[in-house]
This record gives sequence, structure tokens and C-alpha cells, in this order.
Amino acid sequence: MSSWLELLTDNFDALASGFWVTLRLVVGAFLVAAVVGTLVAALRIAPSKWLQRLGGVYVETFRNIPLLVLLIIAYSGLRRAGVPIGTWTAGIAALGLYTAAYVAEVLRSGVFAVSRGQVEAALSLGFDQRQTLRRIVLPQAVRTVISPLGSITIAMIKNSAIVGAALAVNDLLKEARIIASRTFETEAAFVCAAIGYLLLTIAATIAVRLLEQRYAIRR
Amino acid sequence: MADSADAAAPLVELRNVRKSFGDNVVLDEIELLVAPGEAIVIAGPSGSGKSTMLRCINGLEEVDSGSVLFDGERVDPRSRTIGRMRADIGMVFQQFNLFGHMTVLENVMLAPVKVKGVERDAAKVRARELLETVGIPEKADAAPADLSGGQQQRVAIARALAMDPKLMLFDEPTSALDPEMIREVLDVMRDLARGGMTMVVVTHEMGFAREVCDRLVFIDEGRIVEQGPPAEFFAAAKSPRAREFVDKIIHH
Repeated sequence: MSSWLELLTDNFDALASGFWVTLRLVVGAFLVAAVVGTLVAALRIAPSKWLQRLGGVYVETFRNIPLLVLLIIAYSGLRRAGVPIGTWTAGIAALGLYTAAYVAEVLRSGVFAVSRGQVEAALSLGFDQRQTLRRIVLPQAVRTVISPLGSITIAMIKNSAIVGAALAVNDLLKEARIIASRTFETEAAFVCAAIGYLLLTIAATIAVRLLEQRYAIRR
Repeated sequence: MADSADAAAPLVELRNVRKSFGDNVVLDEIELLVAPGEAIVIAGPSGSGKSTMLRCINGLEEVDSGSVLFDGERVDPRSRTIGRMRADIGMVFQQFNLFGHMTVLENVMLAPVKVKGVERDAAKVRARELLETVGIPEKADAAPADLSGGQQQRVAIARALAMDPKLMLFDEPTSALDPEMIREVLDVMRDLARGGMTMVVVTHEMGFAREVCDRLVFIDEGRIVEQGPPAEFFAAAKSPRAREFVDKIIHH
């Protein structure tokens, strides 16, 4: 018990730096996932069959390729193809785009969960299609899927460990491994990493719960 | 274009309206005129096309052929002007369809502010007045889910009235309500009709039809079978189908 605490205090700077890197990775990927996921969801519910298919291709591509493979393609693949992409950009892009596929699917299901009656009520008041989507459908769709979006976010936080494993990014897990190989305190080092990830995931869990209490729609 | 100065010009005109879903003809040669200030009840067996006819009036359904005119203008769901026309036509649904992510007051204020550009403060004052009119001013800040069905439906009526519509459409407004709540909704509708609102009401509440409406339109299998003053209809319906309908309603 005391061994990991000792290790934590002895290596606090390195672990804190790894935690900070992981946090930035996660926030960056979250933003990418939110923006791209919303756009892809919009394609999936677009009136045009072709746009729907385009969205479908995105989802199936990014959901069906392992994240590790995406990371290697995003970094090594692009660099070999002559694109001077950095490790940060590659890591955030791959994690964000991968997660966006899940976000898009959840948002789409949320949109379909909003009843046709809500749309008709809005139209009958004189709203056009765009206003109806923006003011009535999307706000309710998002509120319906707060909980699954939270699960996706938590999965993304954990998946961020793969970024450090694949690329030269000194995230929390990478720092823990460096400490482990230097001190041979493997278990203690990984317990410290686990605590760091728990801090992030528990914070996300609490945030989701608060959002749900504030915004969830009772029917 | 109808001459708006002409008081006799109908507010709603359905001319030879046909509509089918696949092979199923739901509206057939429908001719209907609604005069300003008139309250009409549409009655008929389930699946007779009542709701579809109502929904054609504000373009929630597109007709296959024939024409629908509101205030002299063609109702076309694909046109750019449809939103402006719908803003003048209030609609109340069987399932209330209050916006679940807003309070009662916000439900009533939203369209005046966002569609008509009414100032928020003015819209709020008006919304509170309307909630007073429908008898639930104390629920202004409640969520729709915290209201009973009857209360939700009265809010839905207030929401439609907030746009100052020229016409109100009611699509089976009491069919989803527990019996003890039907009265409170019908009372609001009766007051509206007495206040001169033009109304087209699809309902099975024949007591309401008898007491409130000016004209009863009986539909069966997508056709208007007969129409006239409700008292005449109940006492001596001309067509066998209508008589059968009246018998069933009166004797349950």
C-alpha cells in the first residue's frame, strides 16, 4: 500500500506531466469527436440518400478499424505518404475521428427517438424544417442520449492510453512505464496510472450525472 | 385570390381533394367550405379520413389532386409560404406534443418570439394571459411531464392561440385523455367557439358537437356523406351510414 504512495510522491512531476498530456489528448479528441460526430449524424439524417450513405461509410470505416491501426495509419502512413503530420495531431485526429463514429450513431438514434408529433407541432406553429431541427429536435435528441454519450466519453478516455502506446506521446501510461522500467516497481507504477485514469473517468461520470439531472427529459 | 373585403369569402376551401396512401384511398372528392367564425365538427368512423382531411388544411399532408385554400391562398407543403400560412393556423393534437425540453411558459412563448419576432417580454405577458384563459396560470414554470393530460392539452391550446391564429384545427383533442379530464378541455374549446374563433374539430365527443358546433360534417370511407346542423343530424340523419353511426354513438 505504501509502496505506490511513495512512488507517486517520488515521481510526482513525471506522473503529473503524463496526466496533463492525457488530459489534453482527451479534451482535443473530445472536441473533434463532438464536431465531426454531429456533422456525420447530420449526414445520416439528411434527406438525400447519397448523403446518408456518405455518413454510413464514415461510421462503418471508423468504427470497424481498430484504433491502434488507425493511429499507425494516421501517423506512419501519412508521413510515408509525404504528409508531415505531428504525433499530437495524429493522436488527437485518430482518437477523435474514431470516437466520432460512435457519437454520430448515438446522436442519430437520439434524433429518431424524438417523436414525429414534436416535429408536426413545430411545423404547425410556422417553424421551417431547419428551425424545427435546431430548436425542437436536436435539443431533445441530445438530452435523450446524455448517458450513452457519457459512456462514449469514458471509453475515449481509456482509449487514449492506446495513443501513448502507439505514438511518441508521453501520456500517463507512457510515463508510468518509464517509471516502472527505471524503478522496477511495475505494479506500483501502474496503480498510479490507474488512479490517474480513474480521476478522469470519475470526473466524466459526475459531469454526466449532473448534466442528466439538469437536462434529461422526463416523458 | 379571394377578395379579403368580402365577408362571405370562406376561410378554408377544399376543392375536389383526393388523397391516397398506396392503394388505400383516404380522401375522395372532398368539397368543404369553412366560413370565418364557423365551428365545424368532423365526425365519422375510425379510418374514415377525418384526421387526414384536417391535416391537409395546414399542409401536414399533401393532397394528390384538387386544391386546398386558406384565406384565398393555396396551401402547398412544398412552397416557401407554407410556414407563414401555418403561423395563422393553430393545431391541437391528440397527443398534445408539448415540447418536452421547455417549461410550459416557454412552450407558449417560443413560436411568437421565433416565428413572428414578437419581443420576449411582450410574448411572456401574452403567454401568461393565455395560461390564465385556459385556467392553469400556476403551471407556467412546470415541465410538461409534471402536468396531467388535461392540463397538457390546455397548454397546447394556449400555445396555438399565442400565434393569434385565424383558424384552429383540433385533431381528436380529448381522445388520449382520462374521462375526468375531457370536460376541462372541451370547456376551453367551447369558450373559444363562443368567442368567434373559426374551428374545425375532429372528435368523437358528440355532446360537444351537439352543444357547440354550427355544422357537423360526417365522413365515411374518405367521402363526405352528409353535413348540416348537429341537431338535425342527430335527430334525422339522411344516409343509412350516418344513422348507423348515430345509433352506435347514442346507444354505445
